[in-house]
Amino acid sequence: MEPASGQESGFAHVPGLAQALSRLSRQETLPDGRLRPCLPLAVAEELALSLRLPLAQVEIAALELGIAPERYLRNFDTYTLAEQALLLASSVALVGLGGLGGYVLELLARAGVGGVTAADGDEFAPSNLNRQLYCTSRSLGGFKAAAAAARVERVNPAVVFTPVAAFLDEANMARLLGGAQLCIDALGGLTDRPALARAAGAAGIPLLTAAVAGQGGYVATVLPGQPSPADFFGPEASAPAENTLGTPGPAVCAASAILAGEALNILCGRAPALAGSMLLFDLSRMSFETVRL
Amino acid sequence: MNITIKCFASLARFTPAEADAFPLAPGETVAELIARLGIPPEEIKLVFVNGNHVEVGTVLTPGDRVGLFPAVGGG
Repeated sequence: MEPASGQESGFAHVPGLAQALSRLSRQETLPDGRLRPCLPLAVAEELALSLRLPLAQVEIAALELGIAPERYLRNFDTYTLAEQALLLASSVALVGLGGLGGYVLELLARAGVGGVTAADGDEFAPSNLNRQLYCTSRSLGGFKAAAAAARVERVNPAVVFTPVAAFLDEANMARLLGGAQLCIDALGGLTDRPALARAAGAAGIPLLTAAVAGQGGYVATVLPGQPSPADFFGPEASAPAENTLGTPGPAVCAASAILAGEALNILCGRAPALAGSMLLFDLSRMSFETVRL
Repeated sequence: MNITIKCFASLARFTPAEADAFPLAPGETVAELIARLGIPPEEIKLVFVNGNHVEVGTVLTPGDRVGLFPAVGGG
């Protein structure tokens, strides 16, 4: 299957697709009473199979005809038809598939981000069970990247997911970022984050980065040439806060949701809301504030 | 004249009782405030005053909101 990025709309080239989409769509009533043409889930998947097209391409074709694929129906008007088509044609590099990466991937897949390349060389261990979405009694001991691939296939088969079950050095980070519109730093610890920030800067793409300790954490958007929070933290030897506070699930999930929300902002063509800034949150006080870095 | 102080994550244990109205010494810098709070300077990686990243030599003024952030890397 071809990556979703750079994909052309299918209906102009595939005989009968536009007619089939119009014929097989049905009117759905939205909660506010509006009618919206909708492509039922099973019909989208059957059309992709019968026409030998990537599912994302069928969905993009529907969106261009003003038809909402059923699985994205509840996103409107937050992501318009045109923005949903942009998401399906977009491509993201994700580094880390543990606590942050699992939740981020889940949200990107459900949003219909068309291409995700994700790397993690780690295997699931019992201490991951407190927070890592894809760590279960069945996946323990297996590669995080393999569990992620299986999950994405079940959540949204329109996503072209490329798992890389390896730890990346800076050169391999640069390779992973090739073709991506943005990079998400979902790493754990401090060691590898500055290298990933350099790789994203060299690739000329935004870096979304987050980290947590205890009930608190941060999320930041780093545009090329800007400093990254991790640049100020020093190496692992500087005893990061999570060494004592740990990484409980709620803060990890909160940071991941903010990462995914910002990723979708950028991928559907809007300005990044956290450019040059850090969002600091603390769930023990329920405080959220944005500061300039 | 007072300032407010927010100590994030592992620095929370240094939060003074009167963090929302902490008395400021005349001409006090961030570094001097950190010493007064008893925080080992190496534990503070980022300082924010009124939402902007600043250096520890910055002189504080009444009403400032000071945020102290340690190294955080968990995922």
